[in-house]
Amino acid sequence: MKAREHKIYQEEPALPSLVPPWLAAVLSAIIPGLGQALGRALKRGVIIFASFVSIFGLLIWRFQIAAPRDTGVINIVLKAFKLQPVFIVIAIFFTLMYIWNIIDAYQVAKAAGKPEKRKPFLVFFLIILVFFLIGWQIGRIDLYGFVSQFDDSFPILSQILWPWEKAITYPTVEVIGTAQLESPCTDTPPEPEPREDKPYLVADPTCGFPTMEEVGKNEETGDWERVVTQGTDFHVEGYNFDPGREVEIWWRDSAGRPYIHRDLETDTNLKVIPDEDGYFETDLIWPFPIGDTVRTNMEGVAEWELQGIQISLIGTWEFSEEIELAVVLMIETIFIGMMATFFGVILSVPVSFLAARNLMNANAFTLGVYYAIRFILNIIRSIEPLIWAIMAIIIVGLGPFAGILALTVHSIAALGKLYSEAIESIDPGPIEAVQATGANWFQIVMYGVVPQIIPPFISFTIYRWDINIRMSTIIGIVGGGGIGYILVQWIRNWKYQEAGIAVWFIAITVAILDYVSAEIRERFV
Amino acid sequence: MLEIRNLTKIYDDGTLALDNVSFSVPDGEFLIVIGLSGSGKSTLLRCINRLIDPTEGEIIWNGVDLAKLKGEELRKVRRKIGIVFQHFNLVDRSTVMINILTGRLGYSRTWPTMLHRFSKNDREKAWQTLERMGIEDQAHKLARELSGGQQQRVGISRALMQDPELMLADEPVASLDPVLAHSILQHLEDLNQEDELTIICSLHYLDLVQRYGTSVIGLREGKLVYQGSKEDIQKMTDEEFKTIYGEEAVRISDTSLEGSVGEVIEL
Repeated sequence: MKAREHKIYQEEPALPSLVPPWLAAVLSAIIPGLGQALGRALKRGVIIFASFVSIFGLLIWRFQIAAPRDTGVINIVLKAFKLQPVFIVIAIFFTLMYIWNIIDAYQVAKAAGKPEKRKPFLVFFLIILVFFLIGWQIGRIDLYGFVSQFDDSFPILSQILWPWEKAITYPTVEVIGTAQLESPCTDTPPEPEPREDKPYLVADPTCGFPTMEEVGKNEETGDWERVVTQGTDFHVEGYNFDPGREVEIWWRDSAGRPYIHRDLETDTNLKVIPDEDGYFETDLIWPFPIGDTVRTNMEGVAEWELQGIQISLIGTWEFSEEIELAVVLMIETIFIGMMATFFGVILSVPVSFLAARNLMNANAFTLGVYYAIRFILNIIRSIEPLIWAIMAIIIVGLGPFAGILALTVHSIAALGKLYSEAIESIDPGPIEAVQATGANWFQIVMYGVVPQIIPPFISFTIYRWDINIRMSTIIGIVGGGGIGYILVQWIRNWKYQEAGIAVWFIAITVAILDYVSAEIRERFV
Repeated sequence: MLEIRNLTKIYDDGTLALDNVSFSVPDGEFLIVIGLSGSGKSTLLRCINRLIDPTEGEIIWNGVDLAKLKGEELRKVRRKIGIVFQHFNLVDRSTVMINILTGRLGYSRTWPTMLHRFSKNDREKAWQTLERMGIEDQAHKLARELSGGQQQRVGISRALMQDPELMLADEPVASLDPVLAHSILQHLEDLNQEDELTIICSLHYLDLVQRYGTSVIGLREGKLVYQGSKEDIQKMTDEEFKTIYGEEAVRISDTSLEGSVGEVIEL
């Protein structure tokens, strides 16, 4: 230990600079970092040089992208400055960095040979700052856009944040109250037909003419012109409708063609709202018929019907289809995570013993197995579950089984590592003590090993279960089953409230799980 | 009577831990092993109950060479040799009771013990031992919840459950403060005098050696460099102690402890 400290001290020899400070500055002006390297700060020189080269390369690339149609360095630079002012800031700090690199070379060369002098670090600060600015440009960071567009997207976001209007529905039924009309009037016009407890309309009068348009010759001018004859005025009363819910007035002409009554003054559909007794009254004009066909009965009378149509509630509220779908898929999601954890645990326990160094260092072969397993586990773990899901879908098709497979593979790798580390960190002391009592192999494992690995195993398992359920919520995005599938469907169909329901379900489930898993783990760690 | 003859241990990495060590321990002795860390004390103790296999030499105990035992026979002998460790070596996450009952594993049938089932006698014995050590109210706590002194008493209890004839103690007080050190060593002395247990104990402090030992051996770099009787120990000066032991020897001031020992034992 002492020898090592000594060695570390000797690695920083207080040698004087190879070049005078002014020359170091000049050299760094030509090749950034060269002056520092010759000034006995080789690593610093290399870092500065590498930073300049990569920043320069990145800048060439970004300037070209910013001004693709221009030729000539100056044109490109000026165009980029014009289009994206952030380039001006980058250029300023790049220049500052270059200048400071020269000053730094001078200072370093001057300080060389005097170990008590601390080397300046401002040049590194400038390098990091320039990288930050380039990152800002590459990342197309647009804080102004973020703030200004936030307003526009607020209605959608608020739908996601508060989607609960879509959570419940009211079952409805269409109720129709009618009154019969005829045209032209006969000696026995239709009588109103009052109905007990059912909606009906009473029209006054019950006969007349629809509005007509005719082309006739103006007697005075002799011109042909359109003449509109206004239809009969009605006073209509409605009875026994649902109080407070709007009623639409429809016509059904003699040929049975339905059309809604337009209020000509406002050019909107006529809607009336019944009072608390279910009564309303309104005045309307018999409108144009649609089409030319007039069907008459044997007396040559056209029979019309006036309808009051109301969407009426039956029964109380119930959960919407979306909520039911979200619940069903959330259950599926939780079980995907659970099954993946089960399989992961069962398969990773044996793997973890093979990946524990303290169990595998007996000879070269077992050590080889150890390294191979570790390597494979690291590769598997570095591939995201979403990618495993895509691969699983190729084999087993869309659906929850693909999700389970993907999460199982990832769990084996992750748990295998955690378990094997738990095995590696067991204390040999208790094992030795149990062995010393004359216990046999089974007893040593049961009393010396198991109590030490069970708590971390349980803790890691719960942790994994937590992660797996969280991951199973998004595994559906690629088709691996669970709520993620419907979530992405809803988002793509602009059904933001429905998507909001899914998001809420995921958030609530994950939050509960987070709490539960933390509570359980606390007892074992 | 335990007789060590020409005991040598070379570890796989080539370290010579014990170099041709020979000595004998009459029954009823409180033998203290002194020596620097790394001098071979722990290796010596662990060779006796074969937690470590010696490279060469004989360990004759009651006419049997322990160095040659294997399997079932070895386990049967191990039952009669209790051991107490510097770091207690309790299973932290098991209860005190389970830790103590572990001492009976060598006497119990395998499959019941897999379900933590022990005979009624064993359980009664466990309670008696706990009472003797003054920790009966800790029985259902987890071992890790206990203080250092209490943990070492659990360690001694576990060894006592084996009905040992020989008790090994590998620096049993090195992890404890001086006051607790006396308390634990007095438990061992009690076992030595009342139960006539043979005790082999490694220690670091001269005053503890003088206070408790009935004979002493000294190890340095795996070699036996000192053997002394009770009288020899009493006459030993700090300088002599240091020549055996090296510069790290420290004397715990007697005056600071003597008066308070009587009270602190009750802790």
